[in-house]
Amino acid sequence: MRIASRGLLVLAAVLAAGYPWMVPNYYLVYAGALTVMYAAMATSWNILGGFTGYVSIGHSAFFGLGAYGTGLMVTRWDLPWTAALPASALLVTAFAVLVGIAAVRVRGASFVIVSIALVSMTNLVVQGWRSLTGGSTGLQVPSPFPGLHRGQGHIVFFYLFLALLALALLSWWFIGRSRFGAGLRAIREDEDKAESLGVPTAALKVAAFALSALFVALAGGLYALWFGSLDPIFVFSILTSSYMVLMSLLGGVRHLFGPLLGALIIAPAGEYFLIALGETQIHLTATGVLLVLVVLFMPEGIIARLAGRRAGAPSIPEESAGQRLQGVAR
Amino acid sequence: MSLLLQGLALGVLTGGLYALLASGLSLYFGVMRVVMVAHPAFLFLAAYLAYTMHTAFAADPFLTLPVTVPVFFALGVAVQRLLLARLAPDNLAMMSVLLTFGIALTIEGLLGTVYTGSYKSISMDYATRSLTVGGVHLPYDKIIAFLVAAITLAALFAVLIRSRFGQALRATIQHREAARLVGIHTERVAGYGFGVGLATAAVGGTVLALITPFLPASHWAWIGKLMAIIVVGGLGSVAGAALAAVVLGVVEGLVLVTIDATWATMMFYVFLFLTLLVRPQGFFGGRLAHRF
Repeated sequence: MRIASRGLLVLAAVLAAGYPWMVPNYYLVYAGALTVMYAAMATSWNILGGFTGYVSIGHSAFFGLGAYGTGLMVTRWDLPWTAALPASALLVTAFAVLVGIAAVRVRGASFVIVSIALVSMTNLVVQGWRSLTGGSTGLQVPSPFPGLHRGQGHIVFFYLFLALLALALLSWWFIGRSRFGAGLRAIREDEDKAESLGVPTAALKVAAFALSALFVALAGGLYALWFGSLDPIFVFSILTSSYMVLMSLLGGVRHLFGPLLGALIIAPAGEYFLIALGETQIHLTATGVLLVLVVLFMPEGIIARLAGRRAGAPSIPEESAGQRLQGVAR
Repeated sequence: MSLLLQGLALGVLTGGLYALLASGLSLYFGVMRVVMVAHPAFLFLAAYLAYTMHTAFAADPFLTLPVTVPVFFALGVAVQRLLLARLAPDNLAMMSVLLTFGIALTIEGLLGTVYTGSYKSISMDYATRSLTVGGVHLPYDKIIAFLVAAITLAALFAVLIRSRFGQALRATIQHREAARLVGIHTERVAGYGFGVGLATAAVGGTVLALITPFLPASHWAWIGKLMAIIVVGGLGSVAGAALAAVVLGVVEGLVLVTIDATWATMMFYVFLFLTLLVRPQGFFGGRLAHRF
């Protein structure tokens, strides 16, 4: 079993690494790079969402800040992109720590509200601060590889995003086996009990929040270098975060490869909709309907569905005493 | 000085409208402890229906209300009974946000497909003039918006306080189990509560269409604003949200005339974060919203 799953993992990695050379055209390389980017971001989102159960719809703020940070450092300060990318990601992470300290004070609905507000705020600042960011006209970032043509650029960025995805997956895996991860899971199961047992819940939540912002910011920075042109309305779109949430939920938030699986389904589907239906807004409706269906019928995700069938019912009942009481009362 | 007066007057007028737009959100949170992210999307659905009424039949946008108010009421009941009530209670707060987020995306996509993504607006000839009182210009459209909001909110409060349904609704908001014990069908009441909330969106959206140009993506900007209002007011308190709406409307109006539009909008988020840091349960809400 272990050998089989390890073999599968190696096979998947080899297939992923060979992907740009197996597809017939550069468009598919581009679509692949986009998919891997979303997979990296969803996995990163899941460091917060999966372990602690805190759903953030605000992670596109970190994507946008990472993109603009990298873009501004490259264009205004003439930094090489290899320095600008990590520097801006670290700045965004520091910012996420500050936001996190305020945001994790609240739970449930209020936390989601804060995360939505975060996107609106950052969007407002970037659009309003014209002298620095160029406002709504956008920001042009020179290509880091001027020698390559567009298609070759797609290949390079495919591998960069793949490396980022590997980094995010490794981090999730490590956290899942660490004391840190156990603390985060305790927060998800019962925050008050965890706190009363001495788990430093606030610090753990802030750390998870910042860490999940880090990889999203890196993805944003890479995106800026890849696309070369930043539009605040698109980069700070709440749609980007909703994709991260949808992918994670669809695949399964409690599983390492859940967000990746979700991304492999959603991102190609999105590209297909764009080609089949053209530049209409109906793809928003498709995303929305899918989100409603997943939340209603499969909130635990595909992997949990498949694994749950095989393993049978869990030994500890999933419902709380209160729910059991409600069921009896009805 | 007259500039400040102008800002103050405009702030009170828009604050009144904000109170109407946010009242539905307070109701939803009250009856089910959920944050209905799709509320602004429904506002703009109503705005587009009013636009259709105006362009296709050359009729006054307010004539859509006899149709949209009952339809939105039914939609609200359907959303609560068919969708939100089916969610597992253990993670209702997060999942309901995602569910209503999906509804918002669905509506935005449909609006974009039917009406295209460009700005639309309704200009009535009565709405372009303004009333001048003591050096302060009050545009008629803002006055109309304020009056409609005031009338609707007065009707809403009358229903909540006077009627038997209103009493049942308030009992459900205050203590669901206790309400059930005294024989209130809390599930049904919660459904009607959603209906009433969405009916206010029909009115609010029509008014909104009159005073501002809109596009399908407009609702995102309003989610943050309205959320800020209900958090500052105290989640679940209709009266608190109304008070916070007027306060924030005035702050926005004053910042708008003294600094600029970006900072005026930013004030909502500043107040939101300050409230969460200083008094997470909100300033007018009280015990109900504690720990949400």
